[in-house]
Amino acid sequence: MTIIHSKFPFAFFLIFISFAFGQNDSSEDFQFLERTENIKINFNKGDFKIVKSIHEKAEYLTANKLYFANETLRFDSFTKLEDIEATTYLPASDKTLKVDYFETKHEFDDGIFYSDQQTKNFTFPAVTKGAITNLKYKEVITEPHFLGMFRFGTYAPTKKAVLRIEFPKNVEIGYKEFHTENISVNFTKQETKNGHIYTWTTENVEKYSGEDDAEAALYHLPHIILHIKNYTENGKTFPILNNVNDLYSWYASLAKQVDDNELDKVYKIAEDITKKLTSKREKAEAIYNWVQENITYVAFEDGLGGFIPRGAASVCNNRYGDCKDMANVLYVMLNHVGIPSYRTWIGTRDRPYLYAEVPTPIVDNHMITATVIDNDTIFIDGTDSYVNFGMPSSFTQTKEALIGISPERFVLKKVPAQAAEKSKTVIETEINFENGTIKAGEKRIMTGYERVDFITEYLYKKKNNTEEEFLNTTLALGNNKTKYQNIQVSPVESKHKTLTLSFDLLIENYAKTIGSKTILNLNIDRALSKQKIDIENRKYAKKIDHQFLKEYTTTFVIPDGYTVTSIPKRITYDGKAYGFDISYEQKEGKIIQHKTLYIKTLRIEKEDFEDWNTFIKKLIKAYKKSIIIEK
Amino acid sequence: MKSKRNIYMKKIIVFMLCLCTSQAFSQYYKEYNWAKKPTLHKLSEKEAKESSVGILEKYIVEYKVPTFGNQVQKFETTHTIARVLDEKGIKTHNTVYISMYDVIDIIDIKARTITPDGKITLLNKDNIKEVKNVEEYGDFKIFAIEGAEKGAEIEVLYTLEKEYSAFGRDVLQKSYPIRKVEYNFIYGEMPGRIKAYNAKGEFVEKSYNKKTGKQLVLENIVPMIEEEYATPDANKTYVAFQCFGPGTNVTDSMLWNNVVTNITQGLFPETANTDVASIVETILKEQKTDDYTKAYLVDDYIKKNYTIVKNNNAQLSDIDYILKNKSASELGIIQVYAHFLKAANVEYMPVITSNVYEHKFDSAFFNPGALREFLIYIPKAYNYIAPNRIDYRLSEIPPSILGNTGIFVNNKKQYNFYKITQKDPDYSRIVRNMNISFKEDMEYVQINQEQEYYGHWAMSNRAFLNLAPEQSIKEFEDYLTSSGIEDKVVKKYETKNQEMKQLEYNIPFLVSTSITSESLLEEAGDSYIFQVGKVIGTQSELYQETERINPIHMQYPNRYNYEIIVDVPAAYEVEGLESLVIKKELLNEEGVQKCKFESNYRLEGNKLIITIEEFYKEFEYDISEYEGFREVINAASDFNKAAILMNPKE
Repeated sequence: MTIIHSKFPFAFFLIFISFAFGQNDSSEDFQFLERTENIKINFNKGDFKIVKSIHEKAEYLTANKLYFANETLRFDSFTKLEDIEATTYLPASDKTLKVDYFETKHEFDDGIFYSDQQTKNFTFPAVTKGAITNLKYKEVITEPHFLGMFRFGTYAPTKKAVLRIEFPKNVEIGYKEFHTENISVNFTKQETKNGHIYTWTTENVEKYSGEDDAEAALYHLPHIILHIKNYTENGKTFPILNNVNDLYSWYASLAKQVDDNELDKVYKIAEDITKKLTSKREKAEAIYNWVQENITYVAFEDGLGGFIPRGAASVCNNRYGDCKDMANVLYVMLNHVGIPSYRTWIGTRDRPYLYAEVPTPIVDNHMITATVIDNDTIFIDGTDSYVNFGMPSSFTQTKEALIGISPERFVLKKVPAQAAEKSKTVIETEINFENGTIKAGEKRIMTGYERVDFITEYLYKKKNNTEEEFLNTTLALGNNKTKYQNIQVSPVESKHKTLTLSFDLLIENYAKTIGSKTILNLNIDRALSKQKIDIENRKYAKKIDHQFLKEYTTTFVIPDGYTVTSIPKRITYDGKAYGFDISYEQKEGKIIQHKTLYIKTLRIEKEDFEDWNTFIKKLIKAYKKSIIIEK
Repeated sequence: MKSKRNIYMKKIIVFMLCLCTSQAFSQYYKEYNWAKKPTLHKLSEKEAKESSVGILEKYIVEYKVPTFGNQVQKFETTHTIARVLDEKGIKTHNTVYISMYDVIDIIDIKARTITPDGKITLLNKDNIKEVKNVEEYGDFKIFAIEGAEKGAEIEVLYTLEKEYSAFGRDVLQKSYPIRKVEYNFIYGEMPGRIKAYNAKGEFVEKSYNKKTGKQLVLENIVPMIEEEYATPDANKTYVAFQCFGPGTNVTDSMLWNNVVTNITQGLFPETANTDVASIVETILKEQKTDDYTKAYLVDDYIKKNYTIVKNNNAQLSDIDYILKNKSASELGIIQVYAHFLKAANVEYMPVITSNVYEHKFDSAFFNPGALREFLIYIPKAYNYIAPNRIDYRLSEIPPSILGNTGIFVNNKKQYNFYKITQKDPDYSRIVRNMNISFKEDMEYVQINQEQEYYGHWAMSNRAFLNLAPEQSIKEFEDYLTSSGIEDKVVKKYETKNQEMKQLEYNIPFLVSTSITSESLLEEAGDSYIFQVGKVIGTQSELYQETERINPIHMQYPNRYNYEIIVDVPAAYEVEGLESLVIKKELLNEEGVQKCKFESNYRLEGNKLIITIEEFYKEFEYDISEYEGFREVINAASDFNKAAILMNPKE
């Protein structure tokens, strides 16, 4: 299972949440004594001035991780950094040293081609065991929709974290805490002459460190999201982000600014693609396939340009675009051929929020298109080049979509998790045993996300390796001496519903012949056998990228002169949302193994780890069973 | 005086010629252009299966003595045509990054796409973005190619005028196949030199509008393959050149001298800084004689108190600033070592080289791009300090350098080139002793194991456990407790000598573990198959479907000695032991083993004792030895498949 969205960054809104987990690192080598953020909102004649004053005080408990001294602060066209002051205090000599060199830089990102984000880089001087660093700076926010979030915890332990927000009486603030159940947050409200002060304080927050196959940090890390709800002026209340309506009308106002020049050219393409087709479904599919095949993902983040899709004509002409650009092309084309379609905002599975919880741009980081055909809502993601029409992109499953029906009206709808049956691999293998060597022919027919994952890996993970080495490391059939020959892959474009991969195998040192007996294990594919969870140490639920079903038929041709002396019994496991069934039959000179394997959930919760491990252990046990033939 | 006059004379001549035949000396790049009416190139059947194909990659580097003024000018033209055939191909070619490093003037940047149906889309130059100060690479102009679709050709042509620099380097081999590469190096009357590396072709002299130059034409350049036990990036086809001002006579040895003089400024202080001297007093304590211990303590101290910073702050190579702020550039930190080692009275030699996986240092052709790594050799200890490696302490040369040539400079600032090798071939080795027993009526296997890691193994294990993020440490512990046993349960895991600082020379890193597994024991009727081979952990396997391209380069010489004792239950007898006997070796011309894998067994009562000896005395092997080398490497993975049958006694 690959995480395919690593290929697509979807950093649509990401600029406002500059994750500080680049140095997502461990342990008691380094800790924050204090992390404080004071937000001051000034409101004057319809203009907001928002200033965050940030203070971070950290201590080096050992000299192991002096590289934390390299600090990077991010900013973009919506934020300004001011008054950066950074010092190192050395208790041993009672000396304080000041950072005297700051450098403004750009970073190249694998996913985003051009971004207006820049960094201020500097290094704390003279850090060593015992050193204490102090960092103070101001972040000026020019757009009231981006108040952002505060993390009580981070990549290093935090002794004390304080968030304070001060705002005038005519401004209303909304907030919501996430994952603070296990820490104690002290919240106080204070009224001043001109306004209010809210303060959240917490102490001794553990460090966060990620885990393999786990959801993103924001699913676990204690944090709080703030937003300006509205302000009142001259007795009249003006909304900012009071509720999802406000968020949507802001989005709709931005979407209105899309350049709609030369749409005739786009219409012509849409008409050409669909002219021979009659049903809406066929037309929609053809348009989707065209965008998948003809528009390449290239992302730009440039101020509000990061929010307003580029004109459909320009995208079609340039042949590239990011998620919002592709979503807009689909929107224009589908509506033009009479298929009602809607601009849709969505957070990928990396974002844990619902719109109603925090009606802010933090909820989403992606744009897709929704269409309704025969009362069926279909989510179309232009950035996923290989998923078939009718299925959403894997990384948007279960997420809440904000579908813009008209400039005034929207609906919220959850993208359904796609059933295991839709992502199926059917594997047919014929095994022959000749002169101590296994010779096999195998065919794999994949659909749904199984197909998408294979293609993505095949195209992008293969890199400079040969096809054989690629299969050897991804499928890992038999043993690592397995030779793959005559490899064939059917066309990968999304207009094809299935992908067929076929190859011949030559496996030496696999069957064990001892005396007259030959022992042979028909489970040359041991899918899931490495998925046991380390219950003692694992902290977070296990994330599954997609539900799937695998159906194997493995036929062993009994060689001439041999008789079968042992065939394993059937073993099955039917757990909560996963299971397998392995059975054997002997007929017409063959032993046929039937094996099915399924996972019908997208997450293994912590309380189900025991159950999951029982499943995996039982599966490994079943994989151990061999057939025995004798001369 | 003489040379000055020469330049003057030449200038007059140039000037006069210009007056007479202004055409004759016009620059080559000015006439060079792309085709007026481009058409798609025909692809072969094989090319059509690729993600993309470079049709042409043409480079023109032109040095010019200007008509007026005496600053030599340098122009660089790049012209590429690529056919893109699928999404991956488009993504490889549809974003263009042009480095603005040293660029004085952009003469022109243009790009176009030609689609299969003949549509031509010209790049809108307004869409070229400027990106300032990118990481360590300087400024860039970037743009996305407009109108690229499957089957199209993407053509990019640009010319930059650059600040005069006598040197340059271009890598010609890419991640996609290229039909034709043409490299044009035009230096006219100036002394110009160019050298092609790893190329199937040579430069030939050519006249470019009566200006002298050299041209290299290469056809059908295949992409470099990622091979194991190799340095593929360093083996790519590339060219390096030099061009000096008219009338000069600069030799390589002058250049090396110059570099050594510049780089070693401050590396041999007359006296050590007084603050440093008093710190050295405290860290050395009674230790006054042994250079190994002294240098080790200095290395450990600096790595725990100084940070290497990569930015444009010029003060990071100023020793006073460095000592105050404990921050230094990669070269600046060497000055810190110099003061400490001087104070500790340790003899040392700065070494300049490059990462062997990135670049093979060529002492016969000066190229400043190759001067990337700075190390310190401690002659009396035969060991090296790698200042920019926080994961290392004084040791044999780190694997990233081993095998490359370096400049060694002594305290008289005299230099010599040496190939950097390892002194002790047995420096890095692993000893493993295992005891295996079967529990609860053949329900599971228990493996108790003692492991000793020496040399680079010890170094990297320590670095991992001390410096890596928690998530990686978990993965690493899996490796230390036998990787590849899928249902493994770790009962005991203890380490010793895990701290980074280990003063005793090559003291091993120790791991003591106990694990259990059910999957190692497979049922076959009344008998059991015990997958004994798996207990040594996953072994690498070298595949061989295509012809080997790169010679063999191992990280470092290695040795493994394993002993596995299996307690065979009284009620069973073992069969199939012959799979435990493996011997593969590669001999040199004198019949001495260069590398070997040998496993064997003996039965003592109910104990089955398996021994494995594997070693690689050398880290480099010729490509002609590949087959023999592969057999030895793969022998370990053959052993990995070894299984024994345990039958109930009658």
